[in-house]
Amino acid sequence: MSQLTEELVLDRLIHEPGRLAILTVLSSVTDADFVFLQRATGLTKGNLSSHLSKLEEAGLVAIDKRFVRKKPNTNVSLTAEGRRRIAAHWEQLERLKRLSETVAPDQAHTPS
Amino acid sequence: MQRRELETAAANYSYLRGMLCIPLGGLFILAALGNWEVGPFRHTWVFLLVALAIGVVALAISRFYNDNYGRLTPSTSQQIRAGIGLVLAVALMLGGASLLRSHASWSLDLPVNAIAVCFALVMLVSYAIGVGLKAHHIIIWGAVLVAGALPVWNGTDPSNIGLLLCGAGVILTGVFDHRVFVQTFGPARAIDYENGDVAAH
Repeated sequence: MSQLTEELVLDRLIHEPGRLAILTVLSSVTDADFVFLQRATGLTKGNLSSHLSKLEEAGLVAIDKRFVRKKPNTNVSLTAEGRRRIAAHWEQLERLKRLSETVAPDQAHTPS
Repeated sequence: MQRRELETAAANYSYLRGMLCIPLGGLFILAALGNWEVGPFRHTWVFLLVALAIGVVALAISRFYNDNYGRLTPSTSQQIRAGIGLVLAVALMLGGASLLRSHASWSLDLPVNAIAVCFALVMLVSYAIGVGLKAHHIIIWGAVLVAGALPVWNGTDPSNIGLLLCGAGVILTGVFDHRVFVQTFGPARAIDYENGDVAAH
């Protein structure tokens, strides 16, 4: 793999739309609970639960299970690694976007 | 959802829980009625009882939002911004109202409704910084600002009418904010709602 291609590789764990949405929401808060994440991302309960498990296993989020007014409540926050990885991922997407914008006009002039 | 929408979800959640504005607006109106000593409001205990009832309503509304839309802790930068905003708002209210119309020697003593003018400005700036001005913010607080700035407030102190105007404005803004909130996050209990939530395992 060339150096350029390696530099443009996306983080597959984060790039999945559901997980990208969860991490992006969490990057703008200190912590949020399961219901808020469901509201903000539009994911179903099962999907959100499954994505959170994967993100926790990868060490990107910390999950705190507690009781609020005798009801179970799952509170989620980004770990330092999660915060670093989501910021790097968005930066990578921006770089790809800029690259595609510079490459596309060049290709338009390429003879077929 | 786009990146920007996801990143602003927390700010929208904090600012647009409009139903909380209804008891807040009620407090403004209660303060005006208390100052005027209208009917039963001339008794301090009536004033305190109604204030307590308003507090209970506010708690119930807060619980409604928490149960149906979840909880979050804003980021440290958002909390610092909110703290600075609050200090500036209080300073603008006190300083602005004293400057426009007060007994202070340095007051311009203009025939305006200083409370309405200053509070409308605070609300416009606060929404503009927090979530961006929506049409209803501009219409409602623009109207309060214009009404307060008209040079027709001669004679007796118009502070209580200012409180009434602000109270009505806060309630009206809350109704429209809640509408935007529901458009953003969906109607209450529209999601697979549970007693608490599902653990992530």
